[in-house]
Amino acid sequence: MDHDEVREQLELAATEPAGIDRLMAGDTPLAAAIAAHLAGCSSCTDELDRLRRAAIIIGDAVRTTPPPELRERTLAFVREVGRIRDPAPEAAPARLAPVAAVAPVAVAAATASTGSGRGLAWIGAIAAAVIIAVAATTFVLDRQSGNELAAAQEELTAAREESAGLAHVTAATLALAGEPDAENVRLAGTDDRWGRIVYSADKGELAVIASGLTEPAGDREYRCWVEIDGQRTPVGKMFFGGDLAFWAGPVETIDDLPPGSRFGVSLADTAGSDVDDPPVLAGDVGE
Amino acid sequence: MAGERSSQSSEIALVQAIAGGSHEALAVLYDRHADAIYATASRLTSDRQVAEAVVQETFLALWNRAESFNPVAGSLQAWLHTIARNRTVDRLRAAGRRPGLFPLSAAAGEGEDDNGALERLAATGIVVGAGSGPASPDSAVVAGEVRMMLQHALSGMPEVERTVIVLAYREELTQSEIADRLGWPIGTVKTRTRRALRRLRETLADELGPAAAVDEMPVPTGEGR
Repeated sequence: MDHDEVREQLELAATEPAGIDRLMAGDTPLAAAIAAHLAGCSSCTDELDRLRRAAIIIGDAVRTTPPPELRERTLAFVREVGRIRDPAPEAAPARLAPVAAVAPVAVAAATASTGSGRGLAWIGAIAAAVIIAVAATTFVLDRQSGNELAAAQEELTAAREESAGLAHVTAATLALAGEPDAENVRLAGTDDRWGRIVYSADKGELAVIASGLTEPAGDREYRCWVEIDGQRTPVGKMFFGGDLAFWAGPVETIDDLPPGSRFGVSLADTAGSDVDDPPVLAGDVGE
Repeated sequence: MAGERSSQSSEIALVQAIAGGSHEALAVLYDRHADAIYATASRLTSDRQVAEAVVQETFLALWNRAESFNPVAGSLQAWLHTIARNRTVDRLRAAGRRPGLFPLSAAAGEGEDDNGALERLAATGIVVGAGSGPASPDSAVVAGEVRMMLQHALSGMPEVERTVIVLAYREELTQSEIADRLGWPIGTVKTRTRRALRRLRETLADELGPAAAVDEMPVPTGEGR
């Protein structure tokens, strides 16, 4: 046998259960021929050694990699037998009393990140603020009693609502940022106002977070919009958590945005549907 | 360090989102952690079905008990591995078996060395002893980085080649059995097997050296089958 014939047999044996051991047992004419070749060929012997080790490593990697279909089976399994939870809200309720620990931490970290241009790192800071908010309120709750307990309980409920909304928009932003066609738009405004939009045209979803806005009076609300060829279309109502305003959800109008398109946030009457007021935040697509 | 904090914070947010009912957040965490959980369970049990069940039960526990995750006590990875380990042991006990032994590097996660794996496993109670591993080739294990590279190579190779490799190493079928299973000519199976093996060995070139050169392999008939 020549080198190529021996190496072909070794390669094929390396992918069969105990194939190399069986081949090297020498109890068949083929095995005997290979053994005879190996006895006088150091390069093929080296190749046999490499194949043995490669087979072990590759076999381990294949055996310890979950089958792709396990993902859907697992997620379906959880949907079927998992505890019933309220689905994540489209956004948190409008009533969100500020929780002291949330706003300063989140806004400070996010603003700093904006200045240094570190992309989406600010999301983690917001998420951390969510935990701090709940932990701080729980700590307060532990120290209360009587009427104070009821008030603290209400505060905790509000904080949890706030956390759920922030966590939802954070998760949505992370998921969108991972999409192959994800686009990131900076929103700029006067004073310390800033915002970020992440969207995926393929997925048809968008998430926006803004800082520096004050929750408006009851008959007014902030709305995010997209402007295409000078025509604004409402995207969603901004909800509030601490000093942050946010929204995440499906959008039908972001597919193939032409040059000059931009996003923005404006105040609007809750009773109406227009978004014609001057923007408090705006940013151009592609900049 | 800042990256680690950011990553941990995002995981905390995802767990919170799960507590809020987000199946999307669960899917994101599945994509991050399922590989490592499955790998550990499959090494402990050497049983694919048990490993799959452990993965399902671990993510069910994450869904049902998201509120009980305490980021101060440890990372999400450690928490999930503790759950997985307990589920694995429960199933092995039910079957009258003991967990298998495996080297630290086999349990190392992405970017984690042996010391890191030891600390994490010790915290979860998985490690009951430690010592030098055997030096024979059979003790070779897949370091996290190499394993990831192999998984990437597997996912990027043509479907027909990935199929034969998976059937060979996961199902432990011979080439004749693969030919019967897929209805392919045995020559086609052999050619695709060798091609796939060579692709994977290219990934391992730094570990083992390049494969020896051979004549160009013929393109089998029925390539599209």
